Amino acid sequence: MATTATITLSSDIVSDTLKFSTSATLTKAGLGTALTDAVGLSRKTVAGSHAQYTLFDGDAYGDGSHKVYLKNTSTDNAEYFTIEINSEQMGKLYAGDWAFFPWEANADTNDIKIDPSDNDMTLEYMLFYE
Amino acid sequence: MATTTAALTISSSDLVGDALSLTTTNTLNKAGTTIGLDQTTGMTKAYLTSTDTIDLFPALVEGSIAFEGKSSWVYICNKSEDEGEYALVTIGGINIGRLYAGDFLWMPWDMIESANADNHHGDIEIAPSVATGMWFEWTCINEGTEWHAADLAIS
Repeated sequence: MATTATITLSSDIVSDTLKFSTSATLTKAGLGTALTDAVGLSRKTVAGSHAQYTLFDGDAYGDGSHKVYLKNTSTDNAEYFTIEINSEQMGKLYAGDWAFFPWEANADTNDIKIDPSDNDMTLEYMLFYE
Repeated sequence: MATTTAALTISSSDLVGDALSLTTTNTLNKAGTTIGLDQTTGMTKAYLTSTDTIDLFPALVEGSIAFEGKSSWVYICNKSEDEGEYALVTIGGINIGRLYAGDFLWMPWDMIESANADNHHGDIEIAPSVATGMWFEWTCINEGTEWHAADLAIS
């Protein structure tokens, strides 16, 4: 069993074209064995008064080499999701933006929360966990 | 105007019953616009020989964060080949997660003053798990980086 994630970045932001690709096989912490559990691929539409929403509860997962995928499916450039981890503001996902990062869920306060900038915005997400 | 695209592919033939094959691509724009990001710190390749926590980018200065809330994207890769070696990635002193050998992350960064403060501000930090030497790569593509005046005292 194996799951691979590959990022490819290309840019003309500097005079010499920037282009690289990195692949990672998603494995358990400190081991060569593959992650076997997943949540999603899912979508969450935060309806109504666009309040903050707990996407992943740190208390619900043990310690491990978890990986989180998030994508703002909006097509309106002004719409964003603010991403928080343990009440620390990480950044904003504007329309079409995605993120992929490890998650340490070893503390019940280490929740991942999303806060949409407008009503009825939809976030696509997936969690790979131990 | 610069054009930067970031693509992600996640695939697995057997994680779930239906083969997983996810591909997504986005163009990196300034916050709330369709204007491409035009600045970068460049790609850093570093061999870290201490388990001390370090800032990957210039520390944010409390009370005067020039690019707070602007669009910034961070890439970090643990280039180690030892599956037991990892780096703990934190933001403002708050744990995000561990990058094990070969793992990478791609995340937005608001450069915002930390809600948890304690002199960590909203800096992106890593702490290698061993002091015997680990290779890393990282870069930030953004609307700007606050380069400090020489000899600036940061509390």
